[in-house]
Amino acid sequence: MGEEIAVTGIGLVTPGGIGAEQTWETVCAGRSTAHTDPALRDAPVDLSCRVPPLESGRGRLWRFDRSTRFLLIAAREALASAQLNPADWDCGRVAVVIGTAAGGIGTLETQHHKLLATGPTALSPMTLPAFLPNMAAGHLALELGVTGPSLQTSTACASGATALITAAFLLRAGACDIAVAGGTDAMVTPLCAAAFAKMGALSTRCDAPARASRPFDKDRDGFVLGEGCGLLVLERRQHADARAARVLAVLAGHGTTSDAHHPTAPHPTGAGLRSATSMALTGAGADPTDVDHVNAHGTSTPLNDAAEAAAIRDLYAPRHPTVTSAKGVLGHTMGAAGAIEAALTAMSIARRTVPPTANFTTADDSTTGIDIVHGTSRPQPIRLALSHSLGFGGHNTVLAFTSA
Amino acid sequence: MDRVYDHLVTLLGDKFEVPADRIAPDATLGDLELDSLAVVELYVTLQEQWKIPLDDSAATADLTVEDVARTVTELLGAQAPGRGTA
Repeated sequence: MGEEIAVTGIGLVTPGGIGAEQTWETVCAGRSTAHTDPALRDAPVDLSCRVPPLESGRGRLWRFDRSTRFLLIAAREALASAQLNPADWDCGRVAVVIGTAAGGIGTLETQHHKLLATGPTALSPMTLPAFLPNMAAGHLALELGVTGPSLQTSTACASGATALITAAFLLRAGACDIAVAGGTDAMVTPLCAAAFAKMGALSTRCDAPARASRPFDKDRDGFVLGEGCGLLVLERRQHADARAARVLAVLAGHGTTSDAHHPTAPHPTGAGLRSATSMALTGAGADPTDVDHVNAHGTSTPLNDAAEAAAIRDLYAPRHPTVTSAKGVLGHTMGAAGAIEAALTAMSIARRTVPPTANFTTADDSTTGIDIVHGTSRPQPIRLALSHSLGFGGHNTVLAFTSA
Repeated sequence: MDRVYDHLVTLLGDKFEVPADRIAPDATLGDLELDSLAVVELYVTLQEQWKIPLDDSAATADLTVEDVARTVTELLGAQAPGRGTA
């Protein structure tokens, strides 16, 4: 695959907490963040997993959609974690690659309401700059003074993972030396909640929010809408070593494929996911027997989890890696999910710990035999771990991480 | 006018993070480092908060804080009593 890509920084803003450490603790505790959401009171399903209250809205924050606010906060942590200061770097050699499923959908909804209620005079001049799907990357580049490539990727719920792959390509092509890459989304809005409910994608366990998202469980009935941001700082290994950076994990391989099967349903056998896994393993110079751990997409929908479980069961039998899904705790953070879960995978490697899959209690036919970690965290030395992401449109991405 | 001016100072501080010691009646919006988008956003916000037909096409960085406060005050005066809700 070429030169190793090092992960040297992590930034997280999730329903589990603002910061990587808080998120890790919440996920490891298996503590669901789902609650009844007053903002969704008129939606068919009023559950969500929300990011905790952000710092005050003073300053330039009025300019940004909620998803971009997450991004700017996560970027601060990611750069601090990587011990990088924008005042010191060569701004032309830094890239920003951000994935999103819906851009600034919250801004669009709010402004559309104002248009209908009051007319065009009520619109904010930041309506377009806040909601256009490219603008999270644009705003972050502006805030950091980055003049290298600034790109946005959109592959639905695989967007954050696709951004990481794109950043790796840019690094290997020599287009930059440092990439700040990941995903962000803030889709807990009345429109999105109603639209997902209309598709039957959401859990309707509204009387028991904490038990609603239950990845791979026999009684799963859909996901809980979440929001958040995950960011990684990526560098070529040589560049990271030259500045004596702490390497948290190595992005050793990656694969991306399309199902060409259905607009929203994954291929029932997980064929596209298996192909993406093969590509990622080839890149990492590994085979299925080398995989110790899988951070699954695991949305808690009947179709996703069955297809993903089928791919895992067939690919690794008889030696099964440990499997976990963070969505029982964080809900489904949409275009951020792939990057948040990539960060958690890197942390699992660094901390030799697999967090539990919250709310998994009973296997069904599709998951029988798979080693789904549940109940409590499990200590495990991990040499090679995969992070799965699947998105509407039949997008499959797999990231292969190894220890530093 | 005083009530509107005081409200404007608060808005400039809270939403646009202009330091209070820089805000003066004769300071232009440009002096306060509000760019073209921020000036329009200021007008849209005032329009929404005071429920007045403030014309943001006239919003420029050359206006002083006092100019803006006076315009808002005049529009409020032209309306029925009690409609200012900021």
